[in-house]
Amino acid sequence: MNNQSSLLAALLMLPGFVFSIVAFAEETSPASASLKASGYTEKGADTCLKCHDEESEFPVFSIFKTKHAQKADKRTPFAGLQCETCHGPGAEHAKKVPEGQKQAPIIKFGANSKVSVDKQNKLCLDCHQGNARNGWQASTHQGGDLACASCHKIHAPRDPVLAKTTQPDVCYNCHKKERSDFFKPSTHPVRAGLITCSECHSPHGSNTDALLVKPTINQTCYTCHAEKRGPFLWEHAPVAEDCTICHNPHGSVHTSLLKKNPPLLCQQCHAPSGHPSVAYTGDSLPGGSDPANSAFLLARGCANCHSQVHGSNHPSGSRWMR
Amino acid sequence: MKTTTSLFPLLILSLQVTSAIAADTGEAGGTLPAVDMTEWKCKYCAFEEGFSGTVDLGLGYVSTDSYKFGEYTGLTDEGLYLIGDADLRYRGADASYLNVDVSRLGLDSRSLGVEGGKQGKYKLTFEYDELPHYISDSVSTPFLGTGTDTLTLPPTWVGAGSTGGMTDLANSLHSVNLDTKRKRLGLGAAFASGSQWEYAVKVRHEVREGTQRTAGNFFFSTAQLVMPVDTVTDQVDASATYTGKKFQARLAYYGSLFSNENTALNWQNPYFTGGTVDAGQIALAPDNQFHQILASAGYQFTDSTRATADLAFGRMTQNETFLGATVNSGIVVPAQPRSSLEGLVNTLNANLKITSALTQALRLNGSYTYNDHDNRTPQASYYWVSTDIPPVQQRTNLPYSFTQGTLKVSGDYRFTKQTKASLGVDSDTRERTYQEVSKSTENTVWAKANTRVVDNVYLTLKGAHAERDINGYEVLPWVSPAENPLLRKYNMADRVRDTAGLRADFTIGSAISLGFGYDYANDDYSKSLIGLTESKDTTLAADASARLGKSTSLHVYFTNEQIRSHQAGSAGGLTPDWTGENYDSVNTGGIGVKHALIAGKFDIGADYTISNAHGEIKVYDGSANAPFPDLVSRLGSVKLYATYRLKDNLSLKGTYWYEHYRSDDWQLDGVTPSTISNVLAFGEQAPSYYVNVFMLSLRYKF
Repeated sequence: MNNQSSLLAALLMLPGFVFSIVAFAEETSPASASLKASGYTEKGADTCLKCHDEESEFPVFSIFKTKHAQKADKRTPFAGLQCETCHGPGAEHAKKVPEGQKQAPIIKFGANSKVSVDKQNKLCLDCHQGNARNGWQASTHQGGDLACASCHKIHAPRDPVLAKTTQPDVCYNCHKKERSDFFKPSTHPVRAGLITCSECHSPHGSNTDALLVKPTINQTCYTCHAEKRGPFLWEHAPVAEDCTICHNPHGSVHTSLLKKNPPLLCQQCHAPSGHPSVAYTGDSLPGGSDPANSAFLLARGCANCHSQVHGSNHPSGSRWMR
Repeated sequence: MKTTTSLFPLLILSLQVTSAIAADTGEAGGTLPAVDMTEWKCKYCAFEEGFSGTVDLGLGYVSTDSYKFGEYTGLTDEGLYLIGDADLRYRGADASYLNVDVSRLGLDSRSLGVEGGKQGKYKLTFEYDELPHYISDSVSTPFLGTGTDTLTLPPTWVGAGSTGGMTDLANSLHSVNLDTKRKRLGLGAAFASGSQWEYAVKVRHEVREGTQRTAGNFFFSTAQLVMPVDTVTDQVDASATYTGKKFQARLAYYGSLFSNENTALNWQNPYFTGGTVDAGQIALAPDNQFHQILASAGYQFTDSTRATADLAFGRMTQNETFLGATVNSGIVVPAQPRSSLEGLVNTLNANLKITSALTQALRLNGSYTYNDHDNRTPQASYYWVSTDIPPVQQRTNLPYSFTQGTLKVSGDYRFTKQTKASLGVDSDTRERTYQEVSKSTENTVWAKANTRVVDNVYLTLKGAHAERDINGYEVLPWVSPAENPLLRKYNMADRVRDTAGLRADFTIGSAISLGFGYDYANDDYSKSLIGLTESKDTTLAADASARLGKSTSLHVYFTNEQIRSHQAGSAGGLTPDWTGENYDSVNTGGIGVKHALIAGKFDIGADYTISNAHGEIKVYDGSANAPFPDLVSRLGSVKLYATYRLKDNLSLKGTYWYEHYRSDDWQLDGVTPSTISNVLAFGEQAPSYYVNVFMLSLRYKF
């Protein structure tokens, strides 16, 4: 383990040195030649807005209700080249064409754009590379050729993917199973509009398989379920390792988001002689021929006695009964 | 499981970050081309200034009491409720702004969010949220004092060895509702220094109060108990973020402090007929803390090459004073070796990722992730008493540690502008202490292809094959009675996992879009003779949306999910002599339509949703035993809504919502408090409801 730690430290140091060398090298290289302005419209946004009014096929005036349209914030498109900051030089596109002919193309965004996803996203990332987007490259969604505009509606006064009640519907466009999960009998309150997908998931990339907001599954769960964090005197190993060994976080047919009902759930890992190894059948249902075993099956099953399965700090809680 | 907790790597990384920042003078957004903008007046630009927003006020009526219907929304009680929602905005020409969002003001799930500041300079946030969870409204218990840490039986109580003999039970039972509510108060501030540095801090104070289920037993006789919930969780996120053109970095602190007002739940033994075992005590969740320092950095070497690194050191601690080993005054317990745990887990999470487009067509990606959960809790031999019944025994605690290292290498090749294929291999190694398997390695080969067959048809196909191998499975000597040596716990057993998925998206013109998806996953544990031996999950999903003319839109969706698993057990103590099968099937579908009856004046809409789930459980032990009934839940929901614009700034909104739900659960159905001789149960029944909700409100827009 010590060797691994040393390797890890070396690995962590390596990119830093490389960062530094490359960064200093760049500083000493000639600045990029000024881009030659060409193809931009003569009047900027006013050129665009003449056609793209509310009656047009592509109305754009809602952009003025968004944070991107704030001249006083020098970082925004409208403090720069206005529409053409993102859509690129538009003079050719703005040229009048004979009726029936199409306008010259301009940079469009979204899944159906002719512009490659990488090029679209670069335009966004030029300003938004930091913070949560740091890990976008080579992330699951980037690898899936998702454009920023596949999820974000930049011109909408309230981007649906950023609003609590509408975000899940955006995610369900691709994650169709999850829409069904939140109708299951046991689920988190996403359908009720109380929590969003992004409270647990980081869609711009993360180091976990499920793009979680924290470095591990359990650290993510503890943001709302800190009482299960411990460490406890008597830990239940799978609980400390990974909540999803027993739970389906999106929803389940079974109680408490469990993957299956006890006792079968517990009997997947506990089979010593005695009551954990017994096959409990319908004979122990109310009125059945084997009522002696009903306690292991009905109500909460195993949890009728082992109620502290998430861990216990009681000196006598080694079997999670105190 | 020795793991370095030295801050040395973090220090080195910080120094490197500092040097890279010093070098990266480019601002995010880059240099704009030199364009002559003298005629760029933006005179048609309708920049929003001043106040705007909407306010909704009205009344709703719920026809029926149901905890399940209002499980998270708070629509639990028959009667009127206030509809109150608002969305207020202010925009100033100087970039000052304010957003106020109010949701469900009249319900227990109300939410208030305020964000204001000066865009590009600073941001202040205030959030208040209530998150209820209505758990059950069909609980009965003879215990008094529910909601407190002490449960007592009524003076008339007659203890007995079985629930059938508790002659005062029927007289003592009273209804108790189980529910919790979280009240969250959040404050935040973010400041931007220039265009490259941003500093942010967020704090969240959450109080959670209410009741939940638990249980307490004396040997094999047990009672379901109402557990008090009265906890506080405070969380802090503080960060400094640098965003340069090529270099980005973030240094952050996360803290989470949990405290519980109740340390234990005490209850009187309902089975007590004499002797000393007259009461029990269980420990409630102890106070604990988690502190974590996180650093991350990204560097864009060129347009095609980027590297990122993340590092997080955490420290979980817990030191609640121990309760006594028993409340049975007849048992003498020697002094414990410690008065509290001094529990400590150090966490280390690190990741290094490099991605580079070697050519326009070929991109290579590599990453290594390291997660360590290093439990440094001291071990000691504790005296314990099983369920307050002699004898006194000794047992040593097991501070489980986990280490995971995952190496991923993949390549993407773009054959054409419309077709890309990816191939990757992952190697995941896990190490555990005090468990049956000390080391396992899972190697995965995966492939994925995306193609736009024609302009309006997009296909994605993916598949993976993974094999997990373990370095031996040990029967742990300290587990008593000993585990069956043929058992393989499925989270660390040999496993072959195969997954496949297909997704197809079609568009027909700009008005119609169709989506189809199929996912398959199979876990094969064929080397496990006892325990989980196989599980399979398939999902079929389809949806469509269409815009029919200018005034009508339609969407429809359907999902079918099937989850199957097989497991084996051994009642005889060695070879498998029984098997169990689980089969869950869930069908969910919905259709919704929106129509403008009078354009800009009168909109109507309807949504219909059904979700039917059933779970089959079969246990084969060679005898002609009775089968389990299916677990069933059937949900049907209809919403009809209309908005009529009375004036330019005033609309009338009406909604009718009907929902029915039926569930059958053999664990609950027909189980009264005295059905099980050795379980004094709550007598909960699987929930069912038919609820009508009427809503009428006015929307004022300004």
